[in-house]
Amino acid sequence: MICDQCGERSASVIVKQQQQGQITELHLCHICAAENHSINIAFEQDPLAIHQLLSNWFPNSQASVNPVRKEAVTCPSCGFSFPKFLQLGKFGCASCYDAFSSQLDEIFKRFHNGNTEHTGKIPASYGTTLKIKKEIEELRKQMQVSVSEEDFEEAARLRDEVKVLSSKLEGGASNGS
Amino acid sequence: MAVERFLQPRASSWMANDGENVDIAMSTRIRLARNLENFKFPYSFTEDEALKVDKEISSVLLDKGGDLDYTFSHISIEELAKLQKEVLVEKHLISPYLANSQHSGSVLLSDNEELSIMVNEEDHLRIQSLQSGFHLQKAYKIANELDSLLEKNLSYAFHEKYGYLTSCPTNVGTGMRASVMLHLPALTMSHQIQRIIPAISRLGMVVRGIYGEGSEALGNVYQISNQLTLGKSEYEILQDLENMTEQIIQQERKAREAILLNSPLVLEDRVYRSLGTLTHSRLLTTEEAATCLSDVRLGIDLKMIQDVDMSILNELMIFMQPAFLQQYADKPLQPKERDFARAKLFRERLNKEGINSEGEDLA
Repeated sequence: MICDQCGERSASVIVKQQQQGQITELHLCHICAAENHSINIAFEQDPLAIHQLLSNWFPNSQASVNPVRKEAVTCPSCGFSFPKFLQLGKFGCASCYDAFSSQLDEIFKRFHNGNTEHTGKIPASYGTTLKIKKEIEELRKQMQVSVSEEDFEEAARLRDEVKVLSSKLEGGASNGS
Repeated sequence: MAVERFLQPRASSWMANDGENVDIAMSTRIRLARNLENFKFPYSFTEDEALKVDKEISSVLLDKGGDLDYTFSHISIEELAKLQKEVLVEKHLISPYLANSQHSGSVLLSDNEELSIMVNEEDHLRIQSLQSGFHLQKAYKIANELDSLLEKNLSYAFHEKYGYLTSCPTNVGTGMRASVMLHLPALTMSHQIQRIIPAISRLGMVVRGIYGEGSEALGNVYQISNQLTLGKSEYEILQDLENMTEQIIQQERKAREAILLNSPLVLEDRVYRSLGTLTHSRLLTTEEAATCLSDVRLGIDLKMIQDVDMSILNELMIFMQPAFLQQYADKPLQPKERDFARAKLFRERLNKEGINSEGEDLA
């Protein structure tokens, strides 16, 4: 076989490349192979072979889905099934996140050192309501701590704060009161 | 055609040689991944949707870019020739993924090439901000300002719990990948890098060779980046990466001092042999050129070599790549011909800048 690149020397190396689910195969001579391997810049390479990791973590979901006990979850918007997500290692659309949400914490924990929730930037349009919601969540957590420490005075104060914030949220939803 | 100016072998501002710790930290990059709310992601969308996404994002950038004093050039990927795409990839202005994409996509480039916005890459929107040297905060500020401008005019796919939604589960949350390109010859020579790499990966960050495959880092150039995008704010991620990068830089400095102390003559010999190779070769492979470039860089950093301009070396690292050589030669080149063209490029660029090239006339 003749080298696919130079078309002169005989091919001695087979280069297989998997990208976007497609496998391409190149037959190269040793010279073209050497020239080729170094020019692939790790520009935005996935740090790991994600689909491989996923299928290692969820060996059963990919191999076979028991149709009686458990239908494979499918995203209503783009039609990606959970096994397809595992196989590709990519989401098909924003709704996939809700469709597969029961499994995602497990996956995100492994990719993100145990984390499952975003704590960074929030788009301005989501900002106000979401910030209040996060604040309420935080206050509720503090309230539970106060209760368990039997500091009921503090717990009552926190409860009132939650009430104020909650009413703000409802007020915001009904376009101001 | 809008793309022409970006294909010239002319330095982008992020290849310049200024900035803190620039002797070791060569450049900084921030990437933000975003998707639009009402369209399926690129792995499942139709060509029709791809066109709409491309149109929507491109028109907002062209319209509003001026608000931040940017003029963007819009380049449609499908209108580019294969070689032109490769040149943009080699210049780090687009990703190989976008270059090979089957869907309509675009890249919008700022005039100084510090901002590159890819449309319909793995996500609808990839904002990339490049700086020379070690400037994580500055690079992030630029990317973030553009992101804030865009979110006023586009609705992003954002989830209360998961944050910015992305195609890949490794990008969800902040959608941010921050990275610093580091030249670490002394840590490589002393094999310390092999201990550092696994240690860092346990801290939510990753170090790898930027060119080449496997553990070999061509030209001793490594990239450190955050792996984790969920559960930490952008600020925390940048802080962690900054601290870790500073530590690596210190380690590299120590390792350089140690080599200089223990075997100065061996090092000096190596540096000058490499300079000789770059200025006198007739055939130069990518590998050899990258190795020699690394040695000469080190020689300049250690003040052994005084009369070579570091920014030329930065440019040569980019321009010595196959697509650039062919663009420059204005014709396709076989590997051997590229080695010849590469050697010629090095001789011309380095000798022009005043290195006294004795023996040139013996050739």
